[in-house]
Amino acid sequence: MPRASAWTLGWLALAVALVLLPQALSFSQQEILVFLTINVLLVSSYRLLTLTGEWSLGHAVIMGVGAYASALVTKWTGLFVPLSMLVGALTAAAVAWVLSFPLFRMKGFYFLIGSFAAGEIIRLLWKRFQDPFGGAKGLKRIEPMPNLDLGFHHFDFFLPTNYYYFALVAVGICLWLMWRVERSPMGLAFHAVHWQDKLAQASGINVRGYRMLAFVLASGFAGLSGALLAHYIGTINPGSFGVEQMVFILTWAIVGGTSTFYGPILGVVVLTILNEIVLRGMGFEQARPLIYGFILILSVLFLPKGLESLVQGAMARWRVAAPRPAPVEREKQA
Amino acid sequence: MLELLAQTALNATYAASYIALVAVGLVLIFGVMGVINFAHGELFMLGAYAVVALYADLQLNFMMAVMVGLAFVGCVGLLMERALFRPLRDNPLGGLVASIGFLLILQALVVMGFGVRMEHIPPVTQEVIAFSDRVRFPLSRLYVVVAAVVLLTALWLFLKRTRFGWALRASAQDPEAAALQGISINQTARIAMFIGAGLAGVAGALTAPLVSVNPLMGHSVIVTAFIVIIVGGIGSLEGAVVAAVAYAFVHTIVTTFYDGVIADIVGLSLMLLVLIVKPHGLFGTAERA
Amino acid sequence: MSAPLISVDELTMRFGGLTAVDHLSFDVSEGTIHGLIGPNGAGKTTTFNMISGFYRPTGGRITFAGEPISGLPMHEVARRGLVRTFQHSTLFNELSVIDNVLVGTHMLFPPRLVAAILGRDGASRRAARERAEEALSFFGLHHLADELAGELPHGHQRALGMAIATAARPRAVLLDEPFTGMNGEETRRMMELMRKLKASGVTILIVEHDMQAIMGLCDSITVMSFGRLLAEGTPAEIRRNPKVIEAYLGGTPHAA
Ligand SMILES: Nc1ncnc2c1ncn2[C@@H]1O[C@H](COP(=O)(O)OP(=O)(O)O)[C@@H](O)[C@H]1O
Ligand SMILES: [Mg+2]
Repeated sequence: MPRASAWTLGWLALAVALVLLPQALSFSQQEILVFLTINVLLVSSYRLLTLTGEWSLGHAVIMGVGAYASALVTKWTGLFVPLSMLVGALTAAAVAWVLSFPLFRMKGFYFLIGSFAAGEIIRLLWKRFQDPFGGAKGLKRIEPMPNLDLGFHHFDFFLPTNYYYFALVAVGICLWLMWRVERSPMGLAFHAVHWQDKLAQASGINVRGYRMLAFVLASGFAGLSGALLAHYIGTINPGSFGVEQMVFILTWAIVGGTSTFYGPILGVVVLTILNEIVLRGMGFEQARPLIYGFILILSVLFLPKGLESLVQGAMARWRVAAPRPAPVEREKQA
Repeated sequence: MLELLAQTALNATYAASYIALVAVGLVLIFGVMGVINFAHGELFMLGAYAVVALYADLQLNFMMAVMVGLAFVGCVGLLMERALFRPLRDNPLGGLVASIGFLLILQALVVMGFGVRMEHIPPVTQEVIAFSDRVRFPLSRLYVVVAAVVLLTALWLFLKRTRFGWALRASAQDPEAAALQGISINQTARIAMFIGAGLAGVAGALTAPLVSVNPLMGHSVIVTAFIVIIVGGIGSLEGAVVAAVAYAFVHTIVTTFYDGVIADIVGLSLMLLVLIVKPHGLFGTAERA
Repeated sequence: MSAPLISVDELTMRFGGLTAVDHLSFDVSEGTIHGLIGPNGAGKTTTFNMISGFYRPTGGRITFAGEPISGLPMHEVARRGLVRTFQHSTLFNELSVIDNVLVGTHMLFPPRLVAAILGRDGASRRAARERAEEALSFFGLHHLADELAGELPHGHQRALGMAIATAARPRAVLLDEPFTGMNGEETRRMMELMRKLKASGVTILIVEHDMQAIMGLCDSITVMSFGRLLAEGTPAEIRRNPKVIEAYLGGTPHAA
């Protein structure tokens, strides 16, 4: 069978599986599935940010910027919710763009601490200004996604299954966009900036410009994930986007690994399954932060390259065992 | 007006005292091990809970509870050194991330042991030094100021006068050279971690009856400590003390005339400003090699 | 003679109290190989870093093809056609050889976000790839295109560094101590590549500590000592210059 059609078949199978997946789940599991879908976008956007080598501690807050912006826009203007989500994404990107001027004068530790401080300032502003942010209690009764009748199916987005389909499409498009960016010459420039910023600069690459670009793009996607979350759960507050949320993002990214596109997705999927099946099933739900803390530490200590390194290792062995045209990772131009 | 200023100055002096204890510990750990301990606020929180357990619940003597708090949190510091920072010695960002994980664990353990509610701690003393009708300083706050001065002076003497203190300062510059003098890197790391964590613990213990003790209290502490160590020039102990005093005054004044959240925003903005214009801090000299 | 391609005028760099480069002036003519030599600590690397935009000079001017470039950031200097290499084999070790050179073509084919997402940049990608392969062939690395850069032998790594630098067809390249750590055979092959590069029209400025290594290669040489200009001329003139001989034999500030 030609390789291209094998890939098409694989993708089709995945799509069918993703569409059928909610049928196999309970109502509460379907809700988790919505969150998981949103978190896949969130952690993938975080990886886009780390492509240029800087790790931010403000990503959860940037996600919140998208959530607040979209929620407020629908409240003020009654804009169609999917459009307001785009406004949320653009707002998050714009805020990130403004922040990137001070932040990208810093590197390493200083960037980490600086991004943390910038995020805290934003959270304090939400907390301080009752109008329009609702203060510490946040925003409630956020406009839900309006129902949609497509003839073959009536989508009531109050139901998790339907919202899941909506989120799946949105997240799928975003992942495709990020994939295209990474596989383009622009993505190569991101990698170049990460591995050797001096040599990249000597090759005519505006290092700071690219760092800012990755930060702004990633923030736009994070903002969209925030908006997707806000219009589903209907209530947000400054605490929703605090340190704990940031720890989750870090844990997914580190446990999965960030050197491949699928690494962080693997991380969030595995940890969510672990969380829901194992913890909830065994009644350890309260211990979620505790377990996440342990997992974060253990993976930094013992699996610094993430779950993806296990997959890569397995694939390498499989290729050795079965020497035939293996799926080539790097897209080759004809 | 004058009285308001005098009262503000007294409040700021108290705030400066415990902030300095926390920040100096954080700087010491960074100086010797090169890692930012994100869980430092939770070490403060542990110190406060030592007082909750020993003084409020078991009704031990307050000073006793504070001492045990110091030793206990210092030992938690040793645990962190052995379990997290030593294996990650060549990976300071990994150390930072691991400390974030540890922070979550400490919070979760305290929630399990004590619940999420705010703790009530009976006051140690109700006595107030009244300079005038409107300028008053509770004795319990004076304790904190005195303890901070005593402990920081003791630390200063330890660093300048003893062999271990010398090794600690040397290893902040050059770990290998210090190791040549017969004091191993592990030893200096342990000492730094015990002292650094212990200072955070003692600060938390001393202030426990004066603040609202809850499992999430570490957050505002670490934010404050970050501001102070950045403004003070990361790696400089003296800078941290000066910055703690400066920050406490600015924060207290803004809190008095506007409100606490605005004061936090001002503090964080100040820190961003310092990071932008003078990344090595206002008082700091050089980056750690 | 035509106007110089690179012109350094009264260039000065101070580090605190130390004046590493002190009112240095020299010109590099287009199409030549020009050597900048001097004992260790003479200020060559500092000069190099100022020309390439890595350091901002304390004083003086640098012009490239008649245009002032002093104080411009490194990527702006590179975009004007003056590209540098690094002293040690600084490469994108984690990327393949061909990707390394593709980064070098960045200036010729600047990426565009929307076109890349929509797949409308195929022509530009193909052209970049052709150019990268051409640069690899030029330096005899074509057969290694899919290897990881970090796993190449030392000599190939140096050649790859030059391939990255020349991929965007610069008018001039700056090479910092290109022969350090090379054995005789590698040095000979590297010289061959440089002559070939010169023949293709690229002007080369080499900074080198070892005088003998570049005597046979350069058209003209500038000698520095203690941050100042000591002598200028053809290799033959420099070899006979008593001041140069003394600088190398006598008062070397510190050994290599
Ligand atoms: N970044 C720097 N900071 C302070 N002094 C420097 C710096 N770079 C170089 N120097 C000093 O400037 C002088 C010239 O150094 P350099 O340009 O490296 O010489 P060369 O490359 O000719 O050996 C030396 O004395 C060196 O110690
Ligand atoms: Mg040199």
